[in-house]
Amino acid sequence: MPRILVIEDDDVTAREIAAELASHGIETDRVADGREGLRRAADPCYDAITLDLMLPGLDGLSVVTQLRGQGIATPVLMISALSDVDERVRGLRAGGDDYLTKPFAPDEMVARVDVLLRRHRQQGQHALLRVADLELDLVRHVVRRGETQLSLLPTEFKLLEFLMRHAGQVLTRTMIFETVWGFHFDPGTNLIDVHIGRLRKKIDAAGCTPLIHTVRGSGYSLAQTD
Amino acid sequence: MRRLTDNWRSTTARLVLIYGSFFALWGIVVIGLIHWQAASYLTRVSNELIGRQAEYFTMLDEPTRRHALNDYVSLETRQLNAWGLFDARGKPLAGTITALPSQVVINGAVAIVPQGLERNDGHAHVSVRAAAVRLDDGRILLVSRDTSIVDRIGTIILQALLWGISLTVVPGLLGGWLLARGPLRRVHAIREATLPIMRGDLAQRLPVSRHGDELDMLAGIVNAMLDEIERLLGEVKGVCDNIAHDLRTPLTRLRARIYRLQQQFDEGSSENATLEACLVDTDALLNRFRALLRISELENQQRRAGFDQVDLAEILQEVHALYLPLAEDRGQQLELELPPLPPIRADRHLLLEAFSNLVGNAIKFTPSGGRVAIRARAAEDGPWVDVCDSGPGIPVDQRVAVTRRFYRTESCRSTPGSGLGLSIVSAIARLHGYTLQIADSESGARLSLHCRDAASV
Repeated sequence: MPRILVIEDDDVTAREIAAELASHGIETDRVADGREGLRRAADPCYDAITLDLMLPGLDGLSVVTQLRGQGIATPVLMISALSDVDERVRGLRAGGDDYLTKPFAPDEMVARVDVLLRRHRQQGQHALLRVADLELDLVRHVVRRGETQLSLLPTEFKLLEFLMRHAGQVLTRTMIFETVWGFHFDPGTNLIDVHIGRLRKKIDAAGCTPLIHTVRGSGYSLAQTD
Repeated sequence: MRRLTDNWRSTTARLVLIYGSFFALWGIVVIGLIHWQAASYLTRVSNELIGRQAEYFTMLDEPTRRHALNDYVSLETRQLNAWGLFDARGKPLAGTITALPSQVVINGAVAIVPQGLERNDGHAHVSVRAAAVRLDDGRILLVSRDTSIVDRIGTIILQALLWGISLTVVPGLLGGWLLARGPLRRVHAIREATLPIMRGDLAQRLPVSRHGDELDMLAGIVNAMLDEIERLLGEVKGVCDNIAHDLRTPLTRLRARIYRLQQQFDEGSSENATLEACLVDTDALLNRFRALLRISELENQQRRAGFDQVDLAEILQEVHALYLPLAEDRGQQLELELPPLPPIRADRHLLLEAFSNLVGNAIKFTPSGGRVAIRARAAEDGPWVDVCDSGPGIPVDQRVAVTRRFYRTESCRSTPGSGLGLSIVSAIARLHGYTLQIADSESGARLSLHCRDAASV
């Protein structure tokens, strides 16, 4: 069972994080102070850390900087009330792995923690991603479904790569927008849905088992269903 | 624009004009009075003198009279006096006057002969006063005195008046015009200062000089008023932001609860569908608050840390690629016209957000089968980017309003949206010192962002 260290000084938020992660089968330990958090984070029993940026004692940025300075690579999800892009860039540059703005939807938080956990477990780049009979060759830039080679636009390729790297995980629209396009604003409308729709038409052509699934209220997931 | 005649509209100039006319009129009255007084006095004196002399001469006997008459002429320098002796029928007998003027009645009364008398000593054609008396022997004696001095005094006074007026009024008017320029220049400075305020920059203040005069007092009053307005608006905005901020957390929890509840029902059940609708509504609310906070975040962002050299063409290509599928899904054409553009100094993420909003909006308000075009054009002071659509357009009277928070035109009430997209664009434009223009395109609205080069501002 994965184990997560929650460094968060706000009781309500901490309880929320713990409850949501517990319902997804993840165990949590909570620390309310930055200095204490840094000490506990060194413990290798944790698979990931959620880190509030505004902490008493030692602020979140310093915690993650010192953590990385000690050579500890546990993935860190930074949580902050500041939604500014600069703030995000600073957080990620200091060594954070992902950045989430308060207030957040719990499923968004869980999806991000999930991504961090799996990334932690399956380190290393694969040249070939495969889900069921869908193959994506990162080196030759070729996508194949069964015997058919698919022609994808560059954006569609990046989108599919992201979905396949996190096959079986729920990816929210915001996560997709941030990772595939690198944009950090609210695209509004059903922009992501349209892009997914395009990709879906190419991947899940008539007669194939659908691989891209809509997770209602949350986002999308690419997985082989039985 | 400022014109030369503007100076005459100022209070100073009007005062100068009024005082000038008043003084000129008063001068004329005073000098006229002096002239009238002097002239009437001199006339009275000459008339008395001439009358008495004529009377005196009649009382003398012939030789004495002749003597006296000669003295009368020679004692007076400049030959002011003259006399003539005529027979009963008016024929000249002696003296220098050779004809009886028609104005003179032979009764001793003094009359004015403006054209002068006919004389044989060369002193003709000078205005004189004359009196004629009949002597005991029937002959007529005419005595005259040159009174042109009275008229000459009149002329001198008149000339003095004209000179006086011209020396007072002309420099006065000139001075007034020059005096009016100072305050007018300040009025123009004040007008310049109000332009950004009218455009919504409430941090601007009217210039106050160190004179402390009426204009400064007025500017001070207006500035105090602006302080208050700015404070009140800030308070209103603060309240809005606080509400948005405070409501976001409970709304996020509400959404989480609905989501968890929804997970407990089977997909396809009526409960699931109802909860799905609840989720959609909550998301709409959250989006609105997020956009609202985003705007105030942008408005409070003063520093330009994220500014760097940015390739505008690349940004536009990205936005085009991002929205192309959406446009195609709606049966619209999304065109991109990109001439070579110089790099600009900007925050890349914010520009992406701004153009995304512009293009997203254009697509949203363009009917199926319509056309949306992103056109960039280079200009001296920085490139322009036009986003044209074939939608309903934005009515002229609503063009300022659409950049305000929550404003949506009447015609688009049925289209979903927060009404905050253009406010975000406008806030990003302000942060960059760019201008957002709203106009008509050939078939719909045209929203242009002028990425003005900071150095050329």
